[in-house]
Amino acid sequence: MKILVADDSRVMRQIVIRTLRQAGYDDHDIVEAEDGADALSKVSSEKPDLVLSDWNMPNMTGIECLQALRSSGSAVPFGFVTSEGSPEMREKAASAGALFLIAKPFTEDTFKEHLDGMLS
Amino acid sequence: MSAVDTGERRRSGEHRPVITELIDEATVQSIAEDAWTALVGEDEFLLPTPGELPADVVSSWVDVVGPWTGSVVLTTGRETAAGLTRALLGDHAPEELEDEDVADAFGEIANVVGGNVKAALPGTSALSLPGVGEAPAVRNPADLCRVDVLWRGEPLSISVQGALPALPVPSQH
Repeated sequence: MKILVADDSRVMRQIVIRTLRQAGYDDHDIVEAEDGADALSKVSSEKPDLVLSDWNMPNMTGIECLQALRSSGSAVPFGFVTSEGSPEMREKAASAGALFLIAKPFTEDTFKEHLDGMLS
Repeated sequence: MSAVDTGERRRSGEHRPVITELIDEATVQSIAEDAWTALVGEDEFLLPTPGELPADVVSSWVDVVGPWTGSVVLTTGRETAAGLTRALLGDHAPEELEDEDVADAFGEIANVVGGNVKAALPGTSALSLPGVGEAPAVRNPADLCRVDVLWRGEPLSISVQGALPALPVPSQH
């Protein structure tokens, strides 16, 4: 499987990728995107099987990226990994078509909880 | 009695809460501890002990805009910020850290702490992207919740501070 990790922080992308490995998902291809616009373009060019995206990013936010994907007909599985885990954000994410929202800080167990059915 | 609604009563009745009415130091400390354990490392602790910040400090912050508006600001010595960056990068840390690496890592810690402070506040708020540099000034000492901790023996402060009153806008020439 191919996973697209979108976050404007390079450090956070590394932490997400490290946590994926720690959670046991170490045999997947990883592609990185540095904001929502980059993620939108890479969904089209890289055809990932899953997008893990931050919410708050310059150029295009994660939710704008998800909305753009769904309006263009893409049904790529999409989950948020964000520092904002309020009930309002979760509701907004779900109604836009996100499968889950993992709030930062997270652990490998949080990743397993949300990704096990999908990646293993 | 006048029937004219000037809005005066509503305005005078408005109450903008200060941060100490909304969150306490123990909650801020707990949010920071969770961020440290997850981001910096499982065996990394924040001791709730004040220390004297060195002269050469750097801050990272995010702004929260909503029923309460202000900033969540982390301040520590430049060396400590570099140490945090190395801890976050782990095996990927370069031999020579660039300023950009420190801004990215220290900014991301402020983002995670600030996002969780925001989630603990009532109502709906928006969160800014992180800033790194010289800390925003404390505008109102009564609208401040500050926690001082030690990480690996080095001092670090976490300040949740209101944005009001606004600073005077410099005159344009």
